[in-house]
Amino acid sequence: MSADTLPLGRLQRWMQAVIVHPGTVEQGVHASGARRLVPGSRVGDLVRPSWSLRPVERIGIYHGMYRLRMVDALGTDYPALRHFLGEETFRDLVRAYVGAHPSRSYTLNRLGDHLPGFIRRWGGRVPARAFCHDLARLELAVSEVFDGEETASLTDAEVRTVPPEAWERAILRPVAAFQRLTLGTNAAAYLETVREDRNEHPRPRRQRSSVAVYRRRFAVYHLSLSRAADELLGDLTAGTPLGKALARAIRVRRPPREQDLFRWFRDWVSEGLFRSVEFAPSV
Amino acid sequence: MANRWGFPDLGVGIGLRPVHFGAILSQSPAVEWFEVLSENYLDTGGRPLYVLDRVAERYPVALHGVSMSIGSTDPLDVVYLRKLKALADRVRAHWVSDHLCWTGVMGRNTHDLLPMPYTEASLRHVERRVQQASEILERPLVLENPSSYVEFAASTMTEWDFLARLAEEADCGLLLDVNNVYVSAFNHSFDARTYIDAIPPDRVVQYHLAGHTHKGTHIIDTHSDHAVPEVWELYRRAWQRTGPVATLYEWDEDIPALEVVVAEAQKARAYQLAAEAVAAEAAR
Repeated sequence: MSADTLPLGRLQRWMQAVIVHPGTVEQGVHASGARRLVPGSRVGDLVRPSWSLRPVERIGIYHGMYRLRMVDALGTDYPALRHFLGEETFRDLVRAYVGAHPSRSYTLNRLGDHLPGFIRRWGGRVPARAFCHDLARLELAVSEVFDGEETASLTDAEVRTVPPEAWERAILRPVAAFQRLTLGTNAAAYLETVREDRNEHPRPRRQRSSVAVYRRRFAVYHLSLSRAADELLGDLTAGTPLGKALARAIRVRRPPREQDLFRWFRDWVSEGLFRSVEFAPSV
Repeated sequence: MANRWGFPDLGVGIGLRPVHFGAILSQSPAVEWFEVLSENYLDTGGRPLYVLDRVAERYPVALHGVSMSIGSTDPLDVVYLRKLKALADRVRAHWVSDHLCWTGVMGRNTHDLLPMPYTEASLRHVERRVQQASEILERPLVLENPSSYVEFAASTMTEWDFLARLAEEADCGLLLDVNNVYVSAFNHSFDARTYIDAIPPDRVVQYHLAGHTHKGTHIIDTHSDHAVPEVWELYRRAWQRTGPVATLYEWDEDIPALEVVVAEAQKARAYQLAAEAVAAEAAR
């Protein structure tokens, strides 16, 4: 068999099967996916040797680069997860992940979209799995917010034009580059120490926490939220009028103080979390 | 000799890379144009697109892609091509280029530039797809010669013959990557000068220059270093045949400070002058 008798499509399917095989290139050549298309013993009929490399070694260059490229791409999107897991475990995770979720896009930017869910169900050894899942969710949110649509934020001047009596009916629309996450661990604190390149990092522990991830002047930030602040922000960004959201916020056993409510709202506006204010019809 | 579409010689440029965003916006570096990796700007509304818009206000730009997969037996990705056209229109790109390669099949993308067997059947296959892509893009497609590490036993023609015929028969432009010629020449034991001399000069719209990594048994096209003198010499030889053509220096790994990349790109000037001196002498 030579490639002149092998249709182009079959040649490409064979070469891809070898390149993306999770084991060595030799294992890839002899694995069933590739062997169905070209018997392992016939590689030399398809690929010429060079002065220095055998055919399988030449294919092996692409095989090796594929793995490095996947690790680099996911390492760029998940630097804190990579930092926590260490190189060896992270590489194992990537190898398994791209086998289950290979890139089907023209861009590598969305390669890691399924990684948080994959971490939960992967059979490989992951230390502090719940923590890693949270860390991955948080880093995915960061990359999605990084690429989110740019929408202008509500300014202080615009806020000041709202008549006091209208605030009760005010519906605040969040900017497009915004996400709110509830985590079960201290993953946000870990991410912070990695982003700040600190030497000390917190140990994983269970801790309910809420985080707002948002973009301001094209940089991505995250803001820790108390439970009450998270619930209020959740109501507001879901389109609940301010008056109703505030009434719900104080209808709890230990309601937040009025000055806390005022401070949260001021901070959220100044951080650019809202893009517009609309008004619900008067009842 | 001008290329047949009249695409301008944009001068000496560099690739737009995120690590240099701040420096480019604040320093307005002394380069004449930027090449933009298309895929990095197609699905983002964030800083990359903001920076690209600012750069396109100040400098000419061309788009350079890695995922068109013009040689694949999968159907062309029409959604991708339409987004690419929209981006090209948005930044008034002078041209849109990609590689003579395939990147995946069965819906998968390996994100590598995988080589083609150089056969008549491959030529017809790529020719049809270049025409389809050009129609969607509403502009001639420009294709770059890839660096490669594998040669197929079935190839019935050389890469340079394939490329020259493809350019004529599909009516596309060529982005001649001189470093890739050097890399493939070492890996496949051919004379790089033969390759350079066989490329139809009026099809060459752009040059690429870059550094590579020599592994002893083979060379990898890493874009991680200064170009070696042999690559510069090949560039001089090519320039002598084509005359002024837009030239771009690529640096994608271990990227140094902006001024280092700019200085490396500016070395092209000396080789252009040397080529022009030889051409003038020959004309006398």
